[in-house]
Amino acid sequence: MAVDLTVLSNGAEGIFIKNSRFKTTLVTFNFYLPLNREKVAAFALLPFVLTTCSKKYPDFRRLNTKLSKLYGAELSASAEKLGDYQLLKMSISVIGDKYTLDNEQLTAEAISLLSELIFEPNTQNGEFSENDLKREKRKAIEHIKSEFAEKRLYSKKRLIEEMYKDSPYGIAKCGDIEDVEKITGKSLYNAWEEMLKTAHIRVNVVSDSLPAGLFDSLNARLSSLNRADVTDIMKTEGTKPAAKTNRVTENEQLKQGKLCMGFTFEKSGGGLDTADMLVCSDIFGGGPYSKLFTNVREKMSLCYYCAARSVRIKGLLTVESGIEKQNAEKAEKAILLELENLKSGQISDAEFNSSILALTDSLKVYYDSVNALEGWYASRISDNQLFSPEEFAESIKRVKKEDVVNAAKGIKLHTVFRLLPKEEQ
Amino acid sequence: MKREIFESPLGESYVKAVCSSGLTVYVMEKPLYNSAFAIFGTKYGSIDNCFCVNDGEPTRVPDGIAHYLEHKLFESEDGDAFSRFARTGASANAFTSFDRTCYLFNCTDKVYENLEILLDFVTHPYFTEETVLKEQGIIGQEIKMYDDSPSWRVTFNMLEKMYYNHPVRIDIAGTVESIARINADLLYKCYNTFYNPVNMFVCVVGNVDTETVLSMCEKNIKPKEQIEIHRVFEEEPESVKDNYVEQKLSVSLPMFCLGFKQRIATPYRRLKSKICVALLLEIICGECSPLYERLMNEGLINDEFSFEYFNGYNYACTMFSGESENPQAVTDAIKEEIKNIRENGIDKKLFSAIKCGMYGDLVRRYNSVQEICMQFAESAVFGYDLFDEMKVLKAVTCDDVYKRLDVFEDELSVLSVINPAE
Repeated sequence: MAVDLTVLSNGAEGIFIKNSRFKTTLVTFNFYLPLNREKVAAFALLPFVLTTCSKKYPDFRRLNTKLSKLYGAELSASAEKLGDYQLLKMSISVIGDKYTLDNEQLTAEAISLLSELIFEPNTQNGEFSENDLKREKRKAIEHIKSEFAEKRLYSKKRLIEEMYKDSPYGIAKCGDIEDVEKITGKSLYNAWEEMLKTAHIRVNVVSDSLPAGLFDSLNARLSSLNRADVTDIMKTEGTKPAAKTNRVTENEQLKQGKLCMGFTFEKSGGGLDTADMLVCSDIFGGGPYSKLFTNVREKMSLCYYCAARSVRIKGLLTVESGIEKQNAEKAEKAILLELENLKSGQISDAEFNSSILALTDSLKVYYDSVNALEGWYASRISDNQLFSPEEFAESIKRVKKEDVVNAAKGIKLHTVFRLLPKEEQ
Repeated sequence: MKREIFESPLGESYVKAVCSSGLTVYVMEKPLYNSAFAIFGTKYGSIDNCFCVNDGEPTRVPDGIAHYLEHKLFESEDGDAFSRFARTGASANAFTSFDRTCYLFNCTDKVYENLEILLDFVTHPYFTEETVLKEQGIIGQEIKMYDDSPSWRVTFNMLEKMYYNHPVRIDIAGTVESIARINADLLYKCYNTFYNPVNMFVCVVGNVDTETVLSMCEKNIKPKEQIEIHRVFEEEPESVKDNYVEQKLSVSLPMFCLGFKQRIATPYRRLKSKICVALLLEIICGECSPLYERLMNEGLINDEFSFEYFNGYNYACTMFSGESENPQAVTDAIKEEIKNIRENGIDKKLFSAIKCGMYGDLVRRYNSVQEICMQFAESAVFGYDLFDEMKVLKAVTCDDVYKRLDVFEDELSVLSVINPAE
């Protein structure tokens, strides 16, 4: 699968991911900035403000009607956390011109629409409009609050906060409510300028053919910006083990409790050499063949869900589970016992082979999903080579049982977060 | 084997075949894709809690049994289906909804081996009193998880007030009490009724060969005794039980679900009606509508706002859901806008923009083998063909859509709210 990288200017690149199976073209602007407690909220708000209006479409009803006329072109925005960076995404997806009813030329129009939204926002005198700001701030605050309602998300978020109290990775991806409240039309404008000038920029295009002139016109826009001090995206730090396990328990009016455990790996990174960590966390608690699923969930019936996930770039391993209050201790012990089994090399051929097969299979599926493919190339930041899902699948096939055991031996429990039902009154 | 070929203007085509066992099979080849997605489903869901076979007496079974059966079918005497799929690398799953139970896998390799496993485990039930009992713990926890989920509760609280008798008002997984009454005999009884090939369908989309899939389905699925299944429903009054319901849960902002019960004369809605109502919902409060902009700017809704035409066997309602400081104000505004459209007609420009957008959404659907496969399941349950949607949408007029305003009657509305617990 061919991928073409075009270096645009200082700290900006375009990646053309050729794929002929889809009926759409997807163009995504990825802006990478260091996670910073003071700036995180304003940066996170930007993709949402920018994709609701622009100079040409000052209100979102007009903008949405335009999108609808472009055969339901999909505009999307997000703010994510990727290692020690904040990733701001804005994208447009539009159906191919040949699928329109009257052979209309949609693709070029959709791409210039996205560009306008990002580079020509609805601002006056160096400020975003009060009306847009008020609406988007409210939505951002409501979104932060609603995470509280989803106990699974909330527990995971609390675990990460506890584990990374004094480091960038512990910062909430959209900031806290107080940070959002402080944003003004002026501070948002400054954040917008800073994003354009200093973010590492990666524009990913997933399409049958590269839309003509896309990267040239982008280069013209970027060169007029005097970009300097551009973010270096290769500097995510691993996670240090805790001197003593940190335990936090909260109580709430709930029927089911949550148990979240955070572990550290000995190493971290985003390259092909981290395949062993992925296989290790997968055998531990990935698919339905994993130790946590087959033993803790199925055999012992201790939790409705019990899964392990790794964030290799941070050297982090998490286990999340839903538990009955009276089983909290038992479940924790059972989870730790499975980890000990992994460390002592108790990996059956079935567990090992199933994991390798499932992981390589799921990597091949990336090629069948526009968004997964784009996301893959947006996430390859800490390594100089832009390896493909297929290349990573090859690395996974080379992992041996002893590599998995070695990776497991370096795993240390860092923090246990529990959200438990309050005692009945 | 009876077969038909369907072609779409987008370049896709598929085969629909009926095997000698009565099983309906849909296959769409997507040779450029790495993966294949397959579903083996039965037209049997949580609403089928009372039924007769041929001319027999009605049988009533405990709520949640279809879902329970789904869990149990993964097991066999020599290990579960997950471990069989684990040997091929496929990712397998299953779900039960109101009107169907589907078993599925997605894979890039050994597709026919996977299909063989799928066809085999769904047609070979194995459970004993002991293994049935064991499942109560896991499903009980699943039910509790949903009891804590505000977005799940807000919808079911609404349905409980909208319907007096129709089982769509009951949680898909049942209750801790109802599942305690499930035993191996009852599971076999439901299995033998609804897992008859005449009531089932297979859909395969992706990098596959149609002939191979069809011959496997023909060979592996043996005919069973031809039966006629009659769903038994108690009479459902046209009215609603109550117009308002609220509950307190751990939420930061109140959640709401506003439903309008529709008076219906036949069990199923026609495709054209569904498309017209979907367009109408967009016209009332979709992202291009004046109402959406007003509610957003006034701080009454956020990006969680959504709507759908919820319908199936003997039930149909429109639903508007979201989070709001003031769910009553959102309700009033929606009702006011419906009245306004009724009096002043539909904005023609808005209609054509929305129709164009919906056409694009249908095209976009063909990007994903999973989505196409799920749509096949939908068309199998409702009995239309996949490409009909595009044809029907193209022909729909503004007048057709206006006529569907009859689905909204204020006195048949129910507002369900989840308020924050102290």
